[in-house]
Amino acid sequence: MPDLNVILLQLFAGLSRGMVLFLLSAGLSLIFGVMNVLNFAHATFWLFAGYVTVTIYSYLAEMFEPGFVLLVPAVIGATALMVVLGLVVERFLIRRMYNRELPEQLLLTFALVLIIGDGIKLIWGVQNRRIFLPVTPVEAFGVFINPYYFFIIGAGLTVAIGLWAFLHLTKYGKIVRAAVFSRDMVSALGIPIPMIYAGVFAAGIGIAAFAAGIFSPLLPMALGTDIAIIIQCFAVVVIGGFGSILGTFVASLLVGIVYSFSILIWPDGALAIIFLIVIAVLIWRPWGLFGTELRT
Amino acid sequence: MTPRDSNVRANWRIRLATGDGLSLPVVLLLFVGFLLVPLLPGRFWIIVATEILILGLFAMSFNLLHGYMGQISFGHAAFFGIGAYATGLLMRYFKGTGAGDLGYFEFFFSLLAGPPVAALGALVVGFFCVRLTGIYFAILTLAFGELLYYIVFSWYSFTKGDDGVQGLLPPALFQNAINFYYFTLLVVALAVCLMWRIVNSPFGYILRTIRDNQRRTAFLGINVRAHMLANFVIAGAFAGVAGALWGPFQRSIAPGLLGWEQSGIAVFMALIGGAKLFIGPMLGSVVYTFLHAWVTIYTVYWPLTIGLIILAIVIFAPGGLLGLVKERLGARSKRPTSPEQSAATPETGGAQ
Amino acid sequence: MSGDILVVQGLQKSFGGLRVTRDISLNLAEGNREAIIGPNGAGKSTFFNLLTGYHRPDSGTVTFEGKDITGWTPHKVARAGIARAFQVSNIFVNMTARENVRAAVHAQLGEIYNIFGAARAIGNERTEEILALCGLAERQNVLAGELSQGDKKKLELALALGGKPKLLLLDEPTAGMSLEETRATMELVDRLNAEFGLTILFTEHDMSVVFNHAQRVTLLHRGEIIVQGTPDEVRKDSTAQKIYLGEHEL
Repeated sequence: MPDLNVILLQLFAGLSRGMVLFLLSAGLSLIFGVMNVLNFAHATFWLFAGYVTVTIYSYLAEMFEPGFVLLVPAVIGATALMVVLGLVVERFLIRRMYNRELPEQLLLTFALVLIIGDGIKLIWGVQNRRIFLPVTPVEAFGVFINPYYFFIIGAGLTVAIGLWAFLHLTKYGKIVRAAVFSRDMVSALGIPIPMIYAGVFAAGIGIAAFAAGIFSPLLPMALGTDIAIIIQCFAVVVIGGFGSILGTFVASLLVGIVYSFSILIWPDGALAIIFLIVIAVLIWRPWGLFGTELRT
Repeated sequence: MTPRDSNVRANWRIRLATGDGLSLPVVLLLFVGFLLVPLLPGRFWIIVATEILILGLFAMSFNLLHGYMGQISFGHAAFFGIGAYATGLLMRYFKGTGAGDLGYFEFFFSLLAGPPVAALGALVVGFFCVRLTGIYFAILTLAFGELLYYIVFSWYSFTKGDDGVQGLLPPALFQNAINFYYFTLLVVALAVCLMWRIVNSPFGYILRTIRDNQRRTAFLGINVRAHMLANFVIAGAFAGVAGALWGPFQRSIAPGLLGWEQSGIAVFMALIGGAKLFIGPMLGSVVYTFLHAWVTIYTVYWPLTIGLIILAIVIFAPGGLLGLVKERLGARSKRPTSPEQSAATPETGGAQ
Repeated sequence: MSGDILVVQGLQKSFGGLRVTRDISLNLAEGNREAIIGPNGAGKSTFFNLLTGYHRPDSGTVTFEGKDITGWTPHKVARAGIARAFQVSNIFVNMTARENVRAAVHAQLGEIYNIFGAARAIGNERTEEILALCGLAERQNVLAGELSQGDKKKLELALALGGKPKLLLLDEPTAGMSLEETRATMELVDRLNAEFGLTILFTEHDMSVVFNHAQRVTLLHRGEIIVQGTPDEVRKDSTAQKIYLGEHEL
């Protein structure tokens, strides 16, 4: 019977991972829902943002006291940079692919995986990067836990709720949701579709950047992480269903927790277990647990 | 003389411009080229040509799913790798700890084991993947590919994991690069001929209808899923042939052969050469392999390079090299010179 | 009733909360030519979708040649002998007209798993027969995507015939056609019925086509049957007249 300590630790780790997966998958799902483009490079943008965050933080840490406070400008800076990058990529690359067939769109974002991934190597080399936050473990639930976990879970929840609120309560959000449903209707109403697309893409990338930023103190940024993560994101959107924030949320937590706990039971098999869930879902409910009937 | 005969005879240019017409001269050119490679000085060209042939076959097997059936698989290398491991592990087993070379019977037996094992893998994976198409197919194949890579990577006791399997020497006769090269050329040529037959059979034409309109195909009374699965298995088998050859060629195998990067190679070759034409991927292999060999002399940032090239091709020339050629020919034959020709006005868009 | 090739009982279908098909029942006698009419959105295409397995009915049964085919998938329904020509051309655009029809013929001949034979050498007789019947012989080597609208419609029909069907469902076969094309198309339909014994069920907006070529008519409105009978009976029905007031002249 594993230690209660260990279980709780894994639970928090799993929830944190789930939060990050959610932020990434929500962006992926939104981009696909609105623009019908599957951004293979989504996790690669995320990784890039992580490296940028670490770089900014390290730079600031040389001048000031290293600590949580410095993380804030680092994350903000990285997010801003990535939003700009997202806008550029959308304007000059993705935009050309809207009327193309699916395989060509997939190839484009797949090529971006290679370009950005190798670009990371070019800029930062092969070394892992991470941030070491000086933290004192805090006692909670009878166990000592890194308080940073709370921060991640909190930040993730805030963004999740914010995203939901934006999509359901604001005028712009409703337009975006309408665009998922019918591009033509929205365009017929005189709302410029290219702007919506640019906005959605940049927002998706921005959220991914934020996720990378807050995760960087927990996990080293390493080459190749992007592929493992994007596959988990795919698992999440398949399990949860494209186009459902709630589904994405639930599925993310599920995948995150399963991943963390399988490290206890079967360390190498984490991905395999998630995989089996994906297969099961695809057999019984191909449109995901919360999704609506498949889009063709 | 039926209208069809006169159509066919009078419009060789249009025929050239449509898919199969263009392939034939290119195939002949390539084959003659391949035959003559050993005339070039040194071992370098022979090695490169062997690699082009094997990877080209791999890419053509991928194109059965892509150009002919309209799907994109990011996990096709899993079957290439399974073929490689089936053959490689058998070769290892037969060689045992003995000092002598592998026997010829054992060598051919090992080679023959590759495709059926790969086909079996494709049957299992395909069963799940063909349930859905488009995006989901792409995601699923990627995920399955990574899963199989992971299994090979982790199962150290059976596959030697990340260490890979070394020392896969073919029998004495084939240790000579030229001999092995001609052997490879023979196998690949036979495989390509077989593929040509399959692609032009009734089965092959149904693949095209599935590509063009899956729903309508079902309304013709065809079980689309079963058909796709059959094709998936066939494609996997051909990938297994390529994989089987790879081990003795490189003298070693590693789990990376099953991964997404290897899968990407097939996708890129098909894109570069032209996915809508039969021999396109082989042509793509020629270009890709040379490019790879050349660029890696100067820089280690190959993924960045190929990524940029693919980006450019996808945006500006999605039909690949042969697609561009076809466009040129199609444009030229647009001028009507006979009544039959004016009835057909070929489009010059890439997607034919 | 014996001699009925198709018996539909109480077919129901809803999408989300919307009822698109309400309690539709129909008896189609073998060898008949019948029409289904109704304003746009009446549920005519949905009805065909339910018959051919594209949608699964919520309740009700469909019996074809005595066999219960309710809920069968499209490919099984097609193999049972029901073929459908679509309203919007649903052809294989990157293949020639000949290859299109040939594929349908191969499917019917059971050749689709033949991986070693040459497609060009199989099923040619029947392919050419169908092409000639549908008036596509001249343009058989043209890519289907490049055919004129009228030719695409012809190919639509040719594809449906490839499977040697016993029941032919035609979704607005003369939509968008000129007077001459309409005449030619319906002449072919009549011929398929009289000479080849195909049972025909078609939907139409063109009332003259309906009255000149249908033996019985079913009027649908908002997913349910309003009236069924001979064209004359339907024309005289007061509810039918109300529905069409302002839309057509019956």
